[in-house]
Amino acid sequence: MSAVSNTTEAKTGGTPPSGLSEFWFYFSRNKGAVIGLFIFLVILVVAVFAPFVAPHNPSVQNRELLLLPPLFQEGGTWGHILGTDAVGRDILSRLIYGARFSLFIGLVVVTLSVVSGVLIGLVAGYFRGKVDTFIMRIMDIILAFPSLLLALVLVAVLGPGLLNAMIAISLVNQPHFVRLTRAAVMAEKSKDYVVGSKVAGAGTLRLMFLTILPNCLAPLIVQATLAFSSAILDAAALGFLGMGAQPPTPEWGTMLAEAREFIQRAWWVVTFPGLAILITVLAINLMGDGLRDALDPKLKRS
Amino acid sequence: MKKLTTLLAATALASLMATAAWSKTLVYCSEASPEGFDPGLYTGGQTFDATSRTAYNRLVEFKHGSTELEPGLAESWEVSADGKEYTFKLRKGVKFQTTDYFTPTRELNADDVIFSFERQYKTDNPWNKYVAGASWEYFAGMGFPDLIDHIEKVDDLTVKFVLKRPEAPFLANLGMDFASIMSKEYADKLQADGKMELLNQQPLGTGPFTFVAYQTDAAIRYKANPDYWNGKQPIDDLVFAITTDAAVRAQKLKAGECHIMAYPNAADVAELKTDPNLQVLEQEGLNVAYLAYNTLVPPFDKVEVRKALNMAVNKQAIVDAVFQGAATVAKNPIPPTMWSYNNAVEDDKYDPEAAKKMLEEAGVKDLKMKIWAMPVARPYMLNARRAAELMQADLAKIGVTAEIVSYEWAEYLKLSSAKDRDGAAILGWTGDNGDPDNFLDTLLGCDAVGGNNRAQWCNKEFDDLMTKAKETADVAERTKLYEEAQVIFKREAPWNTLDHSLVVVPMSKKVSGFKMDPLGIHRFDGVDIAE
Repeated sequence: MSAVSNTTEAKTGGTPPSGLSEFWFYFSRNKGAVIGLFIFLVILVVAVFAPFVAPHNPSVQNRELLLLPPLFQEGGTWGHILGTDAVGRDILSRLIYGARFSLFIGLVVVTLSVVSGVLIGLVAGYFRGKVDTFIMRIMDIILAFPSLLLALVLVAVLGPGLLNAMIAISLVNQPHFVRLTRAAVMAEKSKDYVVGSKVAGAGTLRLMFLTILPNCLAPLIVQATLAFSSAILDAAALGFLGMGAQPPTPEWGTMLAEAREFIQRAWWVVTFPGLAILITVLAINLMGDGLRDALDPKLKRS
Repeated sequence: MKKLTTLLAATALASLMATAAWSKTLVYCSEASPEGFDPGLYTGGQTFDATSRTAYNRLVEFKHGSTELEPGLAESWEVSADGKEYTFKLRKGVKFQTTDYFTPTRELNADDVIFSFERQYKTDNPWNKYVAGASWEYFAGMGFPDLIDHIEKVDDLTVKFVLKRPEAPFLANLGMDFASIMSKEYADKLQADGKMELLNQQPLGTGPFTFVAYQTDAAIRYKANPDYWNGKQPIDDLVFAITTDAAVRAQKLKAGECHIMAYPNAADVAELKTDPNLQVLEQEGLNVAYLAYNTLVPPFDKVEVRKALNMAVNKQAIVDAVFQGAATVAKNPIPPTMWSYNNAVEDDKYDPEAAKKMLEEAGVKDLKMKIWAMPVARPYMLNARRAAELMQADLAKIGVTAEIVSYEWAEYLKLSSAKDRDGAAILGWTGDNGDPDNFLDTLLGCDAVGGNNRAQWCNKEFDDLMTKAKETADVAERTKLYEEAQVIFKREAPWNTLDHSLVVVPMSKKVSGFKMDPLGIHRFDGVDIAE
């Protein structure tokens, strides 16, 4: 309670805060979000500098050291802090390189689905009528399928591989963006400022992209963060089912699938990739929560 | 009222326990659902476990735990001097099983035998196409359609098979699952009722166990056949608990939910061995895993290239990483436990340096190839993907870039048979009848190109030896021919022979009388279980 009163004081005190500091002010009120952001940044740094951080090459097989336990267990060594897998590859290095793939997948999938989803949603919401009905029914059909199942079918058609998995997941994710954009566009379109700029002579494209779209971005950003984490999860699931990244790519889901049989004999081979997925997805989701707090005007208290 | 319920419950429990004490039930955790219940139609080992080895018998049987033949439904047989006529004398008084759905009125006779075979090759037989897509794959795979001239009934208990040419492995082939003897009387009734498809759902034969019920993908129930010609089984009920995940099967076995399990994970075996309630049987399997190059596609049509690739792969590493040591490195296409195994053959030595040089000399540079990895675990190759990854790393050392591809299992089998297949395929074979012909000719003969011969390799010299060995009845003579064939095989290197695996069957210590079967079949006749 005191925190709230303090912040109210701070806010009413000085000059109105700038956009960024206002964002940070609301974002940082959510402790979980800050932790999530921190973890995400760490993963990002590790992924970017993987060749310098990783102690070993992720695909070199050390045939003398199969299934070496992690450091803190009997028999573990400093050479392989998290142990080695069934063909003697360093698990830590594979996880570090795997972070690259996971983030890359998230990024590509989100970019693809946001760009296509926003475009389609904008068209549907702006023009309404038959175009709208047509687009939305297609999106309904896509949404009618369980997303992972649809992604599986698409990958089965396109052939297994990381690229095809990404395309499939973006396609499955995209209807969410279409719906969100369409709803926001419909709400904004009838507002005075839009009518105003229309009267002032703005063309259709200008209205769509420069007038309306920037005002619809807040919910899209939040959705994009959540889609980012679900894309990582879906890619891991596809990898787990043998439809995603192909060996020797150190993708987390694939690592998990390959290690399944060792759950009794060598727990570390299964546990660490699973933990990596869990932590990353959790961090991003927490971050998404904070973003919503900061960007959604309805949740703002002043 | 409450008291009454308690009493009732107690009585129910007591009566349950009483039946448990009275009937002996053996639970087997099997690895997959049967494809169907007509063994002639399918090729999967799980199907044979659930049909031909429980509900049916054959004219000749393999001795329990070996590949030697013993009389089955045929008491004795004679082979004509030219090797083309086989006359079988049937056992007298063999009763078919009595079930809820059918009560037989007559005993086994020659009509049943003729029906069992004719339905598999006579296209005008109404049973030839009784299920959609019936292909009689094994019957065709063993070359029977071209081999059998006709089958005749001499009298009620005598059947004569007339062949078009002499075929030494013929008797052994008759011990195989597709040659199970069905009841013609039952089939006739199903046909009259217009319910022919039931033959593939409710089996009825002469075997040690009578089929009771099948819950799809969950369990199959049998009871001991009280009229079995070889005496009633020591156990009363047999249950197949279908559990597709090997780790779950192991857990169930440890928890006592089943008594015997099929195909454990190699990684779990050591732990199962330490469990005081379990015993683990091990036996060298009658199997081989291989990497078959497509010898029709350049540059793999060159022997030097295939040899070089063979030399580049460290097979011991595969045995260690995939089987945790529970396998041996293979050098011949037949397993060491099989007669005529040529131990004098020398394997291509693991030598990346020499391999690299050899490739250069053959004029092959920057070779890119695909390695096909099976998507499922089979006894001969528990994890083909991992094996492929190991090969990928080994090949990278001699400058060959390998890409690993995989397809759904049925698709994999189909696509890998294609003559224009791009890449080398990992596959293997478990013997069906203990005859070397079943490996060498079935997998490497010219007839099998575009089918089981995944290397698409047709070598005149090798094929002539196969034909000659088939037509010779003398085992010593045949041994010589097969030994020679193995030398040619190694010289030409259509495959990289990977491993022969140990087959492991963990079971509860209460189980007695279970014998490991070299053919990879799980048989429950003669098995007993202690209270």
